[in-house]
Amino acid sequence: MSTELADIHDFIKAIEPFNQLSDSAIGQVINQISICYVREGEPLPPQGIDQPSLYFLRKGALAYYDMSNGEDGELLGKYGEGDICSVFCRTDRKENIKVIPEEDTLLCVIDYEELKVIIKDYPEVFAFFMNTAGERLQNKVASINEEAIVSSTLMNMSISDFYHAPAVTIDSKQSIQDAAIKMTELGFSCLVVVTNDELAGIVTDKDLRRRCIAQGLAVTQPVSDIMTSNVQLIDVNHSAHDALIKMTSGRIHHLPVTKNGKLAGMVTVTDLMNQEGLNAVNMASTIRKANTVVELAKIAELLPKLQIRMAKLGTTADHVGKTISAITGSFTMRLIEMAEKQIGPAPVPYAWMAAGSQARQEQFAHSDQDNALIISDDMQPEDDKWFADLAKFVSDGLAACNFIYCPGNVMATNPKWRQPAKVWGQYFDKWINQPEPLALMHSSIFFDLNTVCGDASLLAGVRAKMLNKTKANTLFVAHLSGNALKLRPPLGFFRDFVLISNGKNKKTLDLKHNGIAPIVDLARIYALSEGIEAVNTIDRLRQASGTPSLSSKSAASLIDAYEFLGMLRVEHQARQLQANTEPDNYLAPKEISRLEREHLKDAFKVIKSMQNSRQTTYS
Amino acid sequence: MFTNLVDYFFSLESKRKKLLAKAPEGPLKEFLKVPFASTEQAIGEVDILALDFETTGLNAKQDKLLSVGYVNFKNGLIKLGQSHHQIICSNGDMDKDNVVIHQITDTEKANGCQLEQVIEQLLSDLAGKVMLVHYANIEKTFLEQACIKLYGMAPVFPIIDTLALAKKHFERAQKHFDPSQLRLINLRAAYGLPAHHEHNALNDAIATAELLLAQMRNYPQGFSTPLSEFLLK
Repeated sequence: MSTELADIHDFIKAIEPFNQLSDSAIGQVINQISICYVREGEPLPPQGIDQPSLYFLRKGALAYYDMSNGEDGELLGKYGEGDICSVFCRTDRKENIKVIPEEDTLLCVIDYEELKVIIKDYPEVFAFFMNTAGERLQNKVASINEEAIVSSTLMNMSISDFYHAPAVTIDSKQSIQDAAIKMTELGFSCLVVVTNDELAGIVTDKDLRRRCIAQGLAVTQPVSDIMTSNVQLIDVNHSAHDALIKMTSGRIHHLPVTKNGKLAGMVTVTDLMNQEGLNAVNMASTIRKANTVVELAKIAELLPKLQIRMAKLGTTADHVGKTISAITGSFTMRLIEMAEKQIGPAPVPYAWMAAGSQARQEQFAHSDQDNALIISDDMQPEDDKWFADLAKFVSDGLAACNFIYCPGNVMATNPKWRQPAKVWGQYFDKWINQPEPLALMHSSIFFDLNTVCGDASLLAGVRAKMLNKTKANTLFVAHLSGNALKLRPPLGFFRDFVLISNGKNKKTLDLKHNGIAPIVDLARIYALSEGIEAVNTIDRLRQASGTPSLSSKSAASLIDAYEFLGMLRVEHQARQLQANTEPDNYLAPKEISRLEREHLKDAFKVIKSMQNSRQTTYS
Repeated sequence: MFTNLVDYFFSLESKRKKLLAKAPEGPLKEFLKVPFASTEQAIGEVDILALDFETTGLNAKQDKLLSVGYVNFKNGLIKLGQSHHQIICSNGDMDKDNVVIHQITDTEKANGCQLEQVIEQLLSDLAGKVMLVHYANIEKTFLEQACIKLYGMAPVFPIIDTLALAKKHFERAQKHFDPSQLRLINLRAAYGLPAHHEHNALNDAIATAELLLAQMRNYPQGFSTPLSEFLLK
């Protein structure tokens, strides 16, 4: 073998998980490789290859078909340049998969037994081939959670995210008074002193006090007399955490920021504290103090920033969803307080409910509002006016805070969703006892409710009766399952496209409808069939784990898949929010690494297998 | 035409025997001792050695061999583990232009092997196999010339030339073609093969073998097609 095979070396080195191998191990892999060429339509393995082997696709395309149900087979996936085909790695293959080139295809092939010898010292590479989709996903999610814990608040933020630019300067020959005037006019506590445009020092409020006034120094003296020379600087590319360390160890409150060695701006300890302060606790307390809708709307502008920040800190999607939902709850409660101040106290007890993602604590910034009212059965017809006013005030207030009106009109302003407990009971009876697919689809949002404000026992009562009925009603569960199976994850990726089940390509993956929603739907079904009160998807899956509806192993895989999809969504939206675009759920394969695509495919497999088992149970 | 081919090859095989009788003891004689594959044999069963030379020029009498690269190829499988690349050290400074093309510097050349060792190894690896090249003229004449220099006589050897196959294909289809279309890189692109690291003897040899795999689509019998269909006349 020769070291001259740069083409093949680079090709193999770029493929997950072989990028983890040393150059000499890649050399060993190459030494075992044969190049072969398969014609369009001629199934793999090619002639001459009878041992279990791994294939690397150098040029062309392969399509996988599941042949277990019928002769035509069901398309499982398509693979293009830079993908690997591991279907033929094992002899004891349980699946009946056919691999057919869709174009003339150039392949590198390696004997699997030989490969195992080479990669035995690389546990992660080895595991890649030995583990199932669920196991790989579990490892990935475990490492994400670990990262989230390790990263501290300021560690992942760069100074470039929040420093003030440009720094305000004063010439060293100007007087102390000039400096004081400039600081007062601009409201700055610090100026950078320059001599011939070169940084000479800094002067702060404290210097004016200690080195000038206290010393009785004339204010006509040059500012250089009281400045601190020997200034500590920080490069714009450093982390906020580095700045904090520099400030605390030097007992200083101001750090001039440099960019490419030149003065670019200033960062103060207050800036750092503000960064630290942008958290849920702070936001909730400012919401409580707000007195007008305008003030609330102002605070609400911070919500996307909070979400970006949490994403940058590596916070899990679960945590982001809970935080954003809690803050939406704070806005709602404050609006209700404001409304009651205006329209007087409620005539009878009631509960303001969140529906859908907010109720499940899975809400993200820029989502629409879904709400409803359960009112005490003591309510009189004339009381509705008060509740209509309340609903209008709160709903308009939420809209002012950028929670747009629900396009499906699931809001307490809609008389249908502003009803006494007994009417809610009738609604549920109808949905459960006479299930119709379309009606169920529209009402599924009401199976995810929680009390934001008011008398929690109202919802608890309605829910207890509802769960008693869903538990016993297989027809209802069957209809719910039928609806849930309408949203299917894609097959995978082909080149830079998303491959869907009819073999067509799409440019983007709809993370919400083709990944997250199917899991949410499954979790709802498990919860309703097992009489579980929880509405949060992960809580539902945890509680359903080990019940007849869901094995503990499947529950764990679904949770992993859900967390991984959630993480991709949080990161995707953070990129959009950062770029000041409206966040959406459409992920382009190019946005993510090849390895992340592999994990995504694993997540799709988990969802698909759970959907299939639903289908067999209820069809 | 088929009879002519058989005649031709028969003569190649008979030439081999004649040369064997005259050849001096040594690597050339060892090479000539091994019979050539039968022209009736299916191409899939034939041992093939895809080969490429990098040279200082096109004239085998004046110009020098710079490097040799080859890879074994049988039944549609190119075995990278059975590949070989060797830079040849020769006297004389290298032409600047060639340094640019082949990226072989004088220092590297000095670390290379003597021509004699390289040819001895090549003859031993080529024995009993069919040589596969793109544009046979270079490899054929340079190998002949090297043998004359080293052993006093040139051997014969069966050759498959992917350029000649491509030309024949164009002519059979009565397609007009531009000579530049016959370049290795352009033919590969036309067959949808990936770009490769050109002007390195081993990479070019592999690239040539891949091209032959792609050209097989023009043969309805595939790897069962007799060798005679491919051999250079």
